[in-house]
Amino acid sequence: MVGAKTREGGVSLQLDQVRLDRPDFQLHVTAQLNAPVTAIFGPSGAGKTTLIELVTGLRRPTGGTIRLGSDVFCDHSRRIHLPVRKRRIGYVPQDLALFPHLSVRQNLLFGTPHKTELKTPVDFAHVTAVLELDVLENRRVPELSGGERQRVALGRALLSSPRLLLLDEPLGSLDLELKRRTLPFLRRLRDEFHVPMLYVSHDWAEVEALCTEVLVLDRGRVKYHGLVGPAGFEPATKGL
Amino acid sequence: MPYEDLYLVGFTALMASLGTLAILPLGLPLAWLLARHQWPGKTLVETFISLPLVLPPVATGLLLLQLLGRRGVLGRFLHETLGMDVVFTWRAVLAAVAVMSFPLFVRSARVAFEEVNPRLEQVASTLGASTWRIFWAVTVPLAGRGLIAGMILAFARALGEFGATIMVAGNIPGQTSTLSLAIYQAVETGQDDRAWRLLGISVAVAFSAVFIGEWLVRKRGRVA
Amino acid sequence: MKPLVIFVFLAVGWLLRVEAANLTVFAASSLVEAMSEIDRMYEAETHQSVTLNAAGSSTLARQIKAGAPADIFFSADEAKMDELEKAGLVLSATRTNRLGNSLVIVVPSDSTLKIASAVDLLRPEIKWVAMGDPAAVPAGIYAREYLTQMGLWEAIKPKHLPMQDVRAALATVLSGNADAGFIYKSDLKVSNKVKVACEIAGDKAPKIRYPVAVLKSSHDPAAAQKFLAYLFSPPAEEIFRNRGFEILANSPATKTTQ
Repeated sequence: MVGAKTREGGVSLQLDQVRLDRPDFQLHVTAQLNAPVTAIFGPSGAGKTTLIELVTGLRRPTGGTIRLGSDVFCDHSRRIHLPVRKRRIGYVPQDLALFPHLSVRQNLLFGTPHKTELKTPVDFAHVTAVLELDVLENRRVPELSGGERQRVALGRALLSSPRLLLLDEPLGSLDLELKRRTLPFLRRLRDEFHVPMLYVSHDWAEVEALCTEVLVLDRGRVKYHGLVGPAGFEPATKGL
Repeated sequence: MPYEDLYLVGFTALMASLGTLAILPLGLPLAWLLARHQWPGKTLVETFISLPLVLPPVATGLLLLQLLGRRGVLGRFLHETLGMDVVFTWRAVLAAVAVMSFPLFVRSARVAFEEVNPRLEQVASTLGASTWRIFWAVTVPLAGRGLIAGMILAFARALGEFGATIMVAGNIPGQTSTLSLAIYQAVETGQDDRAWRLLGISVAVAFSAVFIGEWLVRKRGRVA
Repeated sequence: MKPLVIFVFLAVGWLLRVEAANLTVFAASSLVEAMSEIDRMYEAETHQSVTLNAAGSSTLARQIKAGAPADIFFSADEAKMDELEKAGLVLSATRTNRLGNSLVIVVPSDSTLKIASAVDLLRPEIKWVAMGDPAAVPAGIYAREYLTQMGLWEAIKPKHLPMQDVRAALATVLSGNADAGFIYKSDLKVSNKVKVACEIAGDKAPKIRYPVAVLKSSHDPAAAQKFLAYLFSPPAEEIFRNRGFEILANSPATKTTQ
C-alpha cells in the first residue's frame, strides 16, 4: 500500500546519532522527521546528498541508527544493515539515472513486481496521467527533454510503491521556466499519492512552495529543525 | 576444398566457439567482481588471470599437461572416477583455447563493466532489484558492446591457438588437429602446397570472423 | 631515446660476434647428450666454440633448407640427408654413416602390461602409443615402416600419438599419458623411469643409420671438417658407445674437396 499510513504526517523517519566522516567535516544528525514533505535544506556541501544516501542504504554510517516507522534500516552498534533493495524507498538522484537502454515504459515498470501495467500496486494509469507520461511511454530515454526525464524518474520511483520518496534537487537542473512548470507535478505527487517525501534543495523558494517541515544542515550538523513558514525558519535571518 | 580441410576448418571453428562460450560462466562474474569490488587477494587473482597472457603459450600448455594428464591432479580424478581422458583428445583442445583466451576476455569485460555508470546499478537496487537481476537487466545490456568485443577477441585468439594446444592435445589427425597445427605439420613434412592452401583458408576464416564480429559490435552500437 | 639506440646497437653487435666465431652443429634429438659431451671436450681441447641445435631431424632439415646457418648436420635417418643432398646443400664428399641404433617399445615404469612384441599393441588396454611423427620424424618413420611390414600399422594408426621428436615420445610415456611408445634403444640411457617392454630386432627391424656431413652453408669448412674428424676419434667413440649407439663407420670420408 502506498504510504502505509495516511494519517497526519505519514510514517516517521528517525535519525539517531547518525554519523559519517567526510574529508572536510563529520556528519552528525539526530532528528525525527514526520511531515508529508520534509525539506533538507542547506548550502552545497552541507551533507544533504550524503544524508539521503545513508537513508537509502547506498552508504553505511560510521555510527547511529536509522529507522522508518518500526523498521530498523541500520543500527551501527548492533551491526544491522538492511540491504538497499529491501527498504522500499523511492530514490530520485540529482542525475536522475534513467536506464538509457530501456524505453520509458520499461523504466517506469522496472520497480514493479510483474513488469506489466496491469498489476502494479500503484495504479499505473493514475501515475502516468498525473505526471503526463502517457504520450511518452514508447519513447526512448535519449529522446526526452530535461523536464520529461524528471517526470519519468519521479514516476519510476513512485510506481515501485515506496514507503518514502527521496528527491535530491529535483528542480536543480531545470531553467526557471521549466521549474515553474514542473512544480505543479510535485504538488500533485504530494497531494494525490500520499507518500512521505524528503526533498533536498538549496533553493528556499522551492522549499516554501512544497514543504511543511525543514531540516537545515550546515557542514554536517543540524542547524535547525522545525516548520516552514513565517513562524519558523528564515534563511536570511539565520545567515545562510 | 577437400573434405579433410573442410573438417579442419569446422573443427577449429567449433573449438574456438565452444571455448569462447566456456569462458563466459566464470569470466563474466569474475570481470564484474574485478570491476566493482575491492576484496582481499584481488591483486593476486588479477595476476593469476593474466598469466596465460604473459607466459609463453607452451609454458601454459605444460602447466595444463601437468594438471590434466593421467597423473595430474585433475586428470587422475577424471581418468579414475569417470574413465575420461582429457589430454590428446578434443577436450584438451577446448581447455587449451579456453585458458589462453580467458585473460583477453576478462580484461575487455572488466573495462566494459567499469564503464557502466554505477549510479544506474544503485538506483536499480533502490527499486528492489536483486544483484542477479541488476547484473542481467542493467549491467550486461549496457556493457554489451564491450562484452561482444571481448568475445570476438577471445574467439580470434582461440582460432589461432598453437603453443598450448600442441603441448596438451598433440596434433592427432582427425582428432585434435586444428588449422594452426595442420599448417605447422605441413611445413615440417615438406608439404608446401598443403601449407599454402591451409594458410589461405586461415586467412579467409580469420577475416570472416573479425568482419562478423565488428558488424555485431556496430549493430549493438545503434541499439544502445 | 638514446639509451634505447645504444642498447639495440650493443645487442645486435654481440649477437653478430657470437655468430661469427661459432661452429653450429644440427643434430638429431636422440644425440643430444652424446653431442653435448663431445662438444664440451672439443671446446676444452681446441678452444673452438661449438653450438649444438638438437631437434627432430625433419625440423632441422627444414631449417637448413630455409637457410639456417649450420656447419654440420647429424641426422637420424638417411632420407633427410638425401633430401639435403638433392637440394645441393651438402658437401657430399664428407658424408658418412657414423652410428646405428635400434627401436624399443617402452611402457611407463608402473605399468603392468606385458608386451612381448608389437602385436600386443593391438590390445584394447593400450589406448595410446607414442612415437615420433610418422609423417616426418625418423623415429616415427622407422616405427611406421616396421609396423607396416608386420601388417599392424592400420590397426595401430588410430591410437598413435605423433610427437615432434623421439624425446617427446619418451616424455609422453614417462608422464603416463601414453600406454606405450617407440623410442631408440639409446634413449634408455637417458631415463630409467620407463620399462623396456621389448626390443625390435630381427630381419624386419628397420636399419637405423645416422649420417653426418659438412654443409655447403658452412662459413668455415676447414674448421667444420676438423670437428667432423673429431667425431671419429677414440674419445668420441667411447662416448657414443656409452650412450647406447652402435658404431658403423670408423673413419670419415677422406676426400675433402667437392
